[in-house]
Amino acid sequence: MSALRTEGLGKRYGGSAWALRDCSIEIPEGSVTALLGPNGAGKSTLLEMAVGLLEPSAGTIEVLGHSPWEEAEEMLPRIGFVAQDHPLHARFSLGEMIEYGQRLNPSFDVRLAERRLGRIGAAPEHKVGKLSGGQQSQLALTLALAKRPELLLLDEPVAALDPRARREFLATTVEAVAETGMTVVLSSHIVADLERICDHIVILSGSRQMLAGPIEEILARHRLLTGPRSDARTVSRVHQVIRESHTPRQTTLLVRADGHVYDSCWTPREVDLEEIVLAYLGYGELEDRCDEEAYA
Amino acid sequence: MIWLGWRQQRTEALIALAIVAALAALLIPTGISMSSAVHHESASAFAARFSSLGNLIAWLTLIPGLIGVLLAAPFVLALEHGTYRLDWTQSVPRRRWVATKLGLSAASAIVAAGVLLLLLTWWREPFVELQGRVAPAVYDSEGTVVFAYTLVALALATAIGAVWRRAVPALAVGLVLYVGARVFVDTWLRERLVAADTAVWSVNHKAPNLDKTWILEQFPADGHGAHIPNYSCQVGAGGACALPTLHHGFIHAVYQPASHFWSLQLTETAIFGAIAAALLCFAGWWTRNRVA
Amino acid sequence: MIEFHIQSHSGVPSYLQIAQQVRQAIRLGILAPGDKLPTVKQVVAAVAINPNTVLKAYRELDREGLVDGRRGVGTFVAEGVVALASDDVDSLRRSLGRWVAEARAAGLDDENMSALLADTLQPQGKLRVA
Repeated sequence: MSALRTEGLGKRYGGSAWALRDCSIEIPEGSVTALLGPNGAGKSTLLEMAVGLLEPSAGTIEVLGHSPWEEAEEMLPRIGFVAQDHPLHARFSLGEMIEYGQRLNPSFDVRLAERRLGRIGAAPEHKVGKLSGGQQSQLALTLALAKRPELLLLDEPVAALDPRARREFLATTVEAVAETGMTVVLSSHIVADLERICDHIVILSGSRQMLAGPIEEILARHRLLTGPRSDARTVSRVHQVIRESHTPRQTTLLVRADGHVYDSCWTPREVDLEEIVLAYLGYGELEDRCDEEAYA
Repeated sequence: MIWLGWRQQRTEALIALAIVAALAALLIPTGISMSSAVHHESASAFAARFSSLGNLIAWLTLIPGLIGVLLAAPFVLALEHGTYRLDWTQSVPRRRWVATKLGLSAASAIVAAGVLLLLLTWWREPFVELQGRVAPAVYDSEGTVVFAYTLVALALATAIGAVWRRAVPALAVGLVLYVGARVFVDTWLRERLVAADTAVWSVNHKAPNLDKTWILEQFPADGHGAHIPNYSCQVGAGGACALPTLHHGFIHAVYQPASHFWSLQLTETAIFGAIAAALLCFAGWWTRNRVA
Repeated sequence: MIEFHIQSHSGVPSYLQIAQQVRQAIRLGILAPGDKLPTVKQVVAAVAINPNTVLKAYRELDREGLVDGRRGVGTFVAEGVVALASDDVDSLRRSLGRWVAEARAAGLDDENMSALLADTLQPQGKLRVA
């Protein structure tokens, strides 16, 4: 069962600028998915369409079996969302934020919320506007978690946090996954840390989808091929070359291998996730440049 | 949702209440002395003492505009600060969020207008006894138009704020447009809302009593209705024009009598009310469908 | 109770690191037969990693017969699993220390020693020591 499924999903803002284009992914229930890509790649757009804040311009999206834009009322109680700028009611006190969560959601675990807020080191009377950036991030996450959602969508949740707060934030999230089998989609433009937390990955670049799937499978299918200096043509007939680099004596190719790499000229090696992600991000840029040149 | 709507509106509502309370603190002492004076003193003595206060009322007509614009602030601030994105992902559908917030602000505006109306009507009672209530300066503070004015100011600021999404400029522009609309209605539209009465009398006869009416224009004319140029009116006790130097001819007076008060009021209320409703609906529609 | 430490960029997948650390703990006697391993939730709370990683490690160990997963109760070290005798461990440690001294005297640095050890464990053809 997928928690989130899109097909050809796209969003265009007036005129011809596509913020996201032709995105088809499937995120299984219970998985922790990293949504990676540079700023402006379409990550926030995708998440906002998933939570019903934006209407798709093309394609379809289905979350927990419902269409977010049309069936918001059925779906929202089951989804937790923390936006990139995590807006909060600055004039409210912490205690009022808990009441807010209770009154605006059909089910809200007040004890969980109070327990978590106790840990961030602020009293119930403190105004939200006076909290530090890290505390505000934790508050936004608390509000989302206390709904006990089936799906948690986090847009760059740790960008503003120091390393310790970041670790705590991620630990809390994964703990909730262990406890409830919640599905998490976590967007970021930082690759480190994600390999240990996530089991699925979606890479967006230039508003397009570059790669999507289980991390284990991706690691198994990508190989770094090194060999004497040559061109990639023979290899690219069989496998998809994601990145190639040359020195005067040596050529290195990062390939997505459909099957075994048999050519004896090439020494295959496993690649770590960060390398693969970087290669795909560059691949996206390369494709865009090729498109530009083709249309020049 | 109502809890949220009220909690976000609390500050502005209290400020509006404070404005009205401050006004009350200013008006109540004078109001008491005026209402006793009107029974014990003659009209001219009363006028000598209190007419300057009476002219103050012209400025008080801005207050419904201020209150209306103020009560639009919570809605626009929620859009400006992006907290609507938090609310809309808390299981509250947009439709309910928009309807509740707009509904609460309209309700607050009506309550504030009601209190204001009671205060001003009570205070003006002595003046009304002496001068009637149809004259423009008085008219704005009496009757149902006060509700409509407050709602229009609210609706203008809300509609502008829904599109612009910045509170301070939206409220300022809303207030300016409100003042502009009021000036337009006061100086041009109101006279034409309900057909005025015309009185014609010969210069040699006694003028009718035009006391407590709103005289739009008076002019002398001959038997065929053509204007007689170069005249100067001497306004008599009843407000009618007297021309001692003219011995033949007639005087025409176009005026709104006191009996037209309610038809004028209700017509103007309906117009402004409809505009307010349309603007609020627009603000709601825009926010629901065009805001991301 | 065993504490896990995961190195993100070691090149070894997290689940293997956990499995290795459990095996190590059993061998060195830190975990005895019948001891309860930390629950998935406990591991995840202490070390921020994906719960499936822990599950995978425990499943792997269960397959090897080192642990028993009992539904609803927890995962326990299997009976009959034998730790290395501490005498053996000490004697091996001493002989390893002698080998290291010998290798250093021959001019090998730490890296060369590791490469030699890795190659001995899994021979891969001609090895050149720089």
